[in-house]
Amino acid sequence: MLPTLQVGPLALQLPGLIVLIGLWLGLTLAERQAGRCGIKGSDLYNLVFVALLSGIIGARLSFLLRYPQAFAASPFSLISLNPDLLEPFGGLAAALLGGLIYAQRKAMPFWSSLDALTPALAVLLLALGFAHLASGAAFGAPSELPWAIEMWGARRHPSQMYEILAAGFILALIWPGRGILQPNKAGIYFSGFVALSAGARLLLEGFRGDSSLLAAGLRSAQVGAWLLLAVSLLGSHWLKHQASSK
Amino acid sequence: MERIPTKTWILLSTAFLLAGAVWTYLSRVDPGIVSAGNIPAPRQGFQAPDFSVTDSNGQLVRLSDLRGRPVLLNIWASWCAPCRAEMPAMQRLYQDYQQRGFEILAVNLTTQDTPEKALAFANELGLTFPILFDSEGEAARLYQVQSLPSSFFIDEQGIIRDVVIGGPMAEALLRIRAEQLFSGSEQERP
Repeated sequence: MLPTLQVGPLALQLPGLIVLIGLWLGLTLAERQAGRCGIKGSDLYNLVFVALLSGIIGARLSFLLRYPQAFAASPFSLISLNPDLLEPFGGLAAALLGGLIYAQRKAMPFWSSLDALTPALAVLLLALGFAHLASGAAFGAPSELPWAIEMWGARRHPSQMYEILAAGFILALIWPGRGILQPNKAGIYFSGFVALSAGARLLLEGFRGDSSLLAAGLRSAQVGAWLLLAVSLLGSHWLKHQASSK
Repeated sequence: MERIPTKTWILLSTAFLLAGAVWTYLSRVDPGIVSAGNIPAPRQGFQAPDFSVTDSNGQLVRLSDLRGRPVLLNIWASWCAPCRAEMPAMQRLYQDYQQRGFEILAVNLTTQDTPEKALAFANELGLTFPILFDSEGEAARLYQVQSLPSSFFIDEQGIIRDVVIGGPMAEALLRIRAEQLFSGSEQERP
């Protein structure tokens, strides 16, 4: 666990740095895939840039709307670099909207664009696992298994390592040009990746020690992952059927 | 995936979904068990590790003595620029919330600083919250401090509700977290 990296007087937030490196590596890999999906690499970069920028602005504005009194007492906080002042769901909605508008203006085909982005998403998932390992987040449930690790006052499942292994396995399956899953029919590559990721989350959430719970002790992330798995499997089937009928 | 016959595909999908539903059911946990809250660890949702430090008069101050009051534990040093930058906002927060029982423990990492420098800085800024000295490095060790400042928002039950590593913290964030400690509402936390 190494949440910060001290470089002289500068304390770098290592989890954030890992995610940024993951994004850069992921985009580099996605650029190789873009050509196979009929998407220009530069369009893909711009799409991600627009989505990121919209996401950050949207996340800050959503946070402002949620806590206006705090900002009224301290207006300069609006331009603070503090990442804790971001509202994730508002940011995600703004990023999707920004990305969709850009893609529409550039007439980028929807499913092929998602296929082109898939390697970047897979690398991001892997980076997220390493970021969790660095910060100690997404920690495991207490366990007496021989490979349990000491974390937060107990021996626990090394859930971050499970996450990294699963993400690495998925990345190998979708690796551009080499993996067993390749973008032959528009959208199936992306929906296959979503199904694999949802399946991994469904499985691994059961070993987590920080799950938020629904009624009867069900883990909300597992329920969400199950629904996503169902949608992506149905989606794959529908896309396959659409492609065959053409 | 494209080469799998439709019938096999539907069967496989159904099997995956059924297995997923069974696993979701088997891995449910008892909502009444909140193990993290009983374990002392410097992490959100866990019991704040107890420690004792000294104030400027040499009096011992224990974190557990403040149980029943929301606390901002801020570990800092006078040579740390972000620590210095966030202190004025913390002072304004203290002025606004002290009457409601809010406490700020500004624990100076004295193993890497001196009480004289820490107090001179506090006087310069007119800080009125307690400046405490972690001479043995106990608080820093228990809270696994790797960089400064490190801040822990602790609720009335002694549970850590948020951790902010690095700084300076924006004043809006300080105010929101303080309000959340009073409201005790997990759902309010983004």
